[in-house]
Amino acid sequence: MNPDWLSYGPLMLRAAGLTLWLSWLAMLIGALGGTGIAFLRTSRFRGLRLLALLYTEFFRSVPILIVMFFCYFGVPLVFGFDVSSFAAATIALALHASSTMSEVVRAGIESVGRGQWEAAQAAGMDRVQVMRYIIGPQAIRVVLPPSVGVFITTLKESSLASIIGFIELTKTGLLVRESTDGGLVPLLALAALYFIINYAISLVGGRLERRFHIGSRSDLVGAMG
Amino acid sequence: MSPVLTLDGVVKRFGARTILDGISMDVSPGEIVCFVGPSGTGKSTLLRCVNGLEALQGGRIIFEGRNVHESARSIADVRKRVGMIFQHFNLYPHLTALENVMLAPVIVHKEAKPAVEERARALFDKVRLSHRINAYPAQLSGGEQQRVAIARALAANPHLLMFDEPTSALDPETVGDVLAVMRDLAEEGRTMLVVTHEIRFAVDVGTRMVFMDQGKIVEDSDPKEMLANARTDRARQFLSSIRG
Repeated sequence: MNPDWLSYGPLMLRAAGLTLWLSWLAMLIGALGGTGIAFLRTSRFRGLRLLALLYTEFFRSVPILIVMFFCYFGVPLVFGFDVSSFAAATIALALHASSTMSEVVRAGIESVGRGQWEAAQAAGMDRVQVMRYIIGPQAIRVVLPPSVGVFITTLKESSLASIIGFIELTKTGLLVRESTDGGLVPLLALAALYFIINYAISLVGGRLERRFHIGSRSDLVGAMG
Repeated sequence: MSPVLTLDGVVKRFGARTILDGISMDVSPGEIVCFVGPSGTGKSTLLRCVNGLEALQGGRIIFEGRNVHESARSIADVRKRVGMIFQHFNLYPHLTALENVMLAPVIVHKEAKPAVEERARALFDKVRLSHRINAYPAQLSGGEQQRVAIARALAANPHLLMFDEPTSALDPETVGDVLAVMRDLAEEGRTMLVVTHEIRFAVDVGTRMVFMDQGKIVEDSDPKEMLANARTDRARQFLSSIRG
């Protein structure tokens, strides 16, 4: 009655790797895209600000699964080329992550006091230099903790890719369950693997946060400045 | 001597509120102009207009022969030659004191790092903070932070220094250190615009006192002269009220 669970181990681990890869890719694209959207949100041009706001609100409000369906089934219908389930899942997750990240990055930029902008501008720095040398390094401290949360959410939501047929961790677990006696063990293994991956991300995130934190009282001064 | 700075009918409005109502004046090299007057009369705004932190609604500002607000390029050029010190210091909290001082010369003025560092160390001597060179702003007292901010402004070899209430946010015991550094700068013959409530400083160090009220220059004269016999009631009342 006991199947040889351990023989499925390598399969599950490889699937976990795929899930991590998919989520990482989506997060990376989402973070870059979100930063771009955040800049548009603070643009001088009303039209761009409105466009960015629309984008954020849209992808925040539509379920990831629906976006995934649009990428997987909709794009071939409209544009006439096929999208792999991996690409569709990555794009859908990235679109969703970017809408959240745009808010996170915007909050980070706005957390740096106006005085910092003024001091840097008065010293002759242009907008790009102010961002790169003054605002960015201070905003990252505010941006990092919620970003870890977005990454973890993305990783959990990546299980939706199983529905459009991408064989990632969840789908693999379900397949293992079907090919054995359908017990609880594969589900427990799934939960454990997701937990281990996400907990590891949390730990790495915490370390990064400490690395970017400067001086114990610097937050106080940042608020003043 | 031709003026370093000329204000010509400068008007600044925030919405319907007029902050600067036609300010005109010349500043010659080596002058130390102290701006005094009730709060909200546009003294700080005036400084912020000079380096383009605020846009003008009327008039013009000429710095070393250049119309400051002509273009983004002219504002950028003027900022390279005008140093500003803020009430709340505005040091960059993620950089050490030395890095704060070195940043603009390296990335804005494109100077070589070793030369900048040498000059920066000399500036820390000048503001008497050589021992705090590697501290982060959060580890410094208010007076120390403001002296780093002065060193930061000096690092770019500015032709004009603007102080926006440099001691207003300081604990009383550290005000003296900052004023002492400003006195040294005055003795070097630097051109300075100082918005301040430190009447003693204005009288001892200033070469000229400008009394402003409601966006206008009410009186503009020698500080001792103004303190002794202000021509207008408003100036007399204000000066006696802050002398305590």
